[in-house]
Amino acid sequence: MIDPKLTKKVLAELLKSGAEFSEIFIQKRILNNLKLEDGKIESSNSGFELGCGLRIISGDSTYYGFVDSLSSDKILNAARVLRSAVCSKLIEKPLVLSERKKNSERLIIKHPFNVSQEDKKSFLLDVDSAARNYNVTVIQVTSGLSDLVENTYIANSEGFFCSDELIMVYLSVNVVARKENEIRTGYKSIAKTRGYEIFNNRKPYDIAIEASTIAVKMLDAVSAPTGAMPVVLGPAFGGVIFHEACGHGLEADAVLKDATVYKGKIGEKIASSIVTAVDDATIPYSWGSYTFDDEGYPSEKNILIENGILRNYIFDYKTAKKMKMKQTGNGRRQSFRDIPIPRMSNTYIANGNEDPSLIMKSVKNGIYAKEFAGGQVDPATGDFVFGISEGYIIENGAICAPIKNATLIGNGPEILKKIDAVGNNLDFAPGFCGKGGQSISNEVGQPTILVREITVGGTKV
Amino acid sequence: MNNAHNKMPDGSKLNKNLMLQCTKAASILKGKAVDEFEVYGLASISTLIKIYNLDVENLSFSDTRGMGFRIFKGGRMGYAYTSNLEKGEVEKCIEKAVANSGITHKEQYNYLPLEEEFKYKRGLIDEKNLLSEKFLEYTTEDKIKIARELERITRKKDKRVKGISNLLYEDSLTEIAIINSAGFSGSYKTSSAFIYESVISREGSDNSTGDYFGYARGPEKLDVELISGNAVKRSTMLLGAKKVKSQVGSVILDPFVAAQLLGVIAGMLAADAIQKGKSLFKGRIGEKIFNGDFNIIDDGTLKEGLASKPFDGEGVPKGRTVIFDKGVLTTYLYNTFTARKDKMLSTGNAVRSSYKSPPDVGISNFYIEPSAISFENLIKKMDKGFYVMDIIGLHSGVNPISGHISVGAKGMWIEDGILTFPLKEVTIATDILSFCKNLETVGSDIKYLPANGYIGSPSMLVRNIAIGGN
Repeated sequence: MIDPKLTKKVLAELLKSGAEFSEIFIQKRILNNLKLEDGKIESSNSGFELGCGLRIISGDSTYYGFVDSLSSDKILNAARVLRSAVCSKLIEKPLVLSERKKNSERLIIKHPFNVSQEDKKSFLLDVDSAARNYNVTVIQVTSGLSDLVENTYIANSEGFFCSDELIMVYLSVNVVARKENEIRTGYKSIAKTRGYEIFNNRKPYDIAIEASTIAVKMLDAVSAPTGAMPVVLGPAFGGVIFHEACGHGLEADAVLKDATVYKGKIGEKIASSIVTAVDDATIPYSWGSYTFDDEGYPSEKNILIENGILRNYIFDYKTAKKMKMKQTGNGRRQSFRDIPIPRMSNTYIANGNEDPSLIMKSVKNGIYAKEFAGGQVDPATGDFVFGISEGYIIENGAICAPIKNATLIGNGPEILKKIDAVGNNLDFAPGFCGKGGQSISNEVGQPTILVREITVGGTKV
Repeated sequence: MNNAHNKMPDGSKLNKNLMLQCTKAASILKGKAVDEFEVYGLASISTLIKIYNLDVENLSFSDTRGMGFRIFKGGRMGYAYTSNLEKGEVEKCIEKAVANSGITHKEQYNYLPLEEEFKYKRGLIDEKNLLSEKFLEYTTEDKIKIARELERITRKKDKRVKGISNLLYEDSLTEIAIINSAGFSGSYKTSSAFIYESVISREGSDNSTGDYFGYARGPEKLDVELISGNAVKRSTMLLGAKKVKSQVGSVILDPFVAAQLLGVIAGMLAADAIQKGKSLFKGRIGEKIFNGDFNIIDDGTLKEGLASKPFDGEGVPKGRTVIFDKGVLTTYLYNTFTARKDKMLSTGNAVRSSYKSPPDVGISNFYIEPSAISFENLIKKMDKGFYVMDIIGLHSGVNPISGHISVGAKGMWIEDGILTFPLKEVTIATDILSFCKNLETVGSDIKYLPANGYIGSPSMLVRNIAIGGN
């Protein structure tokens, strides 16, 4: 993507500021996005993005700039401008670069470039008919199919360069069902870091039916109860609670700023001893997986909590240096326009021993929260909220009426200690996570989990 | 740090050739077998500064531009964009836009805006108001100084202030240009400066966070004294917060909380959502949705409005649209495509978040008119209930289609018309239509929030809200 001589010249130019670290990050993206709504292919949009980000770290400060081009004049000029922002004195430092090779190669079968527009269109039309045929109450289906081919090249003053290609395919289905004046929605998605072979096992219409099932079931929903009660969190997307309520608090930038309740707790028991939590960017083809992070560090499996004891935080280059810890391969950025920061990849609570049906049976009165619309946390306090998009009342161990309009609210550190059972049915779900204005791909996961007590915010008081 | 910051990109050479680049792309498009085309160009220069412990944590410069091409061919639309404006790349991108029109649905309403479809005349806005004259006088060093000053003042305000988890300054100078084959060609420049801080305070083992921001056309209008005062107050006031018993009761929503809920209503008024059956306001024109006589307005020409602009995302002039008149729903918000479907005129509400997507429907400056009632009198009027100062989980806690709302909230409990103790880990739940019915009064203290538009609301007194605690 770039002449190695130019790379060295740019890195050296940036280091002339006397800074200890310089980096060049090149990214080329080709995106295609098809959107279906009202039974029609409403838009077909493609994008071409190419650019180069330059970074200097000097002391505690990061300096960043980018150009939307790979022209050597523009890159060198940007490097000079950025360097002069740090310091006006000039220091020459010798630099040697060697290639950092990939640990593994992922096989891609149906590359997005080799799938015709007509085939992509037919996936969406299948979604529409399957979702509508599921039930007459379905009044609207919105579905998006996106693919991305991304090439990156990273080199830095630590003396290495690496490059990679990432393929991503994402299908989302949103169904609206209506009965009299009640409107309900159902959402499902499938997303992987691989080609269109993702539909070999799970067909687009399977996803459509899953989304329709939720919307239609929720039409009969009753008002959710209000107050503290036992809550069973469903597998897969239930893991968003751990992601939000705990994961963000383990990101090292929050630790450094004393903006997390988990600061200084490594080695301490912070969760029930049945809880083990992991961030693993190496899971093949997972939505949050990558070969190198966006600073060129190889991806890793990082045990965050082991049998209830906090083992590690989530680091990027800068925070690891500052805290004198080892990088964990979690330096991620939205694009070449952004500074990398510590982010999660695929984050999950590991399997426990219990049979999920027995977990359900153990609850006399409570809530089964199966799917979530997402959530939010304040890492400084650990306070969180989650919107339940598919939930049920549990009575005497049985799943009963669906509930509407419910939110879970609580405090991360408290909830971790109140986990009373962990199932053996670990599953994953893809999503997007926003932090500091940057949105990136993440996967969350967990088996069925029982929390002794969470506050449910419904409308029935 | 030194004066070398002065060498950083300044706006003086902002994108002087954006229009020229768009014109060149248009000439390529003229040679293609398409019925109509539109070129949308965006160029922006911005500075982002993050301060931590009075030091620069991040300093980031961006000078970026891109173009999006919308083409119509046989009633079908195709779109493609590129951030790489070298000639071969633009050509390739245009080819892709043309190819994309091959698989989209044929629609009789797919064509460029015509002048007779505009609800408002051109020239209702003074473009001088979109740009701060002083913007370019500020060097990077000056901006760092403002951000540092905010931290310095904040730390001195209250002993319980433990830290600042996030303090950022961001400004930008942006130019938008549109050229289409129906003869429209226009461009405008806007500037903005934003500063934000989130303050952590601590008392014993209890932590509390509170934030505040300033948003203006230029850095000279950012009042760091006011921002730090409000952020510290919002953080420290809620120390020692507890839960409350679950109940149905009255709430007063802080202007920023009210503006967030108003933003949900705004999304449900887009003609696109109505026509696709995704809005509870469908078929309700002429109906009194609010019990009170509230006026809700979208005004793309508002003088102080930070979402004001001369024309919308497809070149249609902006204007002032009264959506709720004394509580009665009078119109939806339209771009030309949705206006044609309803046999209406375009209200100039085509929005584009960037050059990366074709026009959608959305708000500009969207606000509910304030009353003359002060906040103190609003509290007295409520007598007893929950003063909601902040909500979290709006994104996941609100379903814009079904209208259900259930979010986490913190604030103060009000008893006998006065603020008593702080509350946290409380939920408030209702649905949009009940919310409209139960909105009793608004205050005089209107404030604006930048959120996919610029949304303004005073404090709101709402009855019959489910408050969830223990």
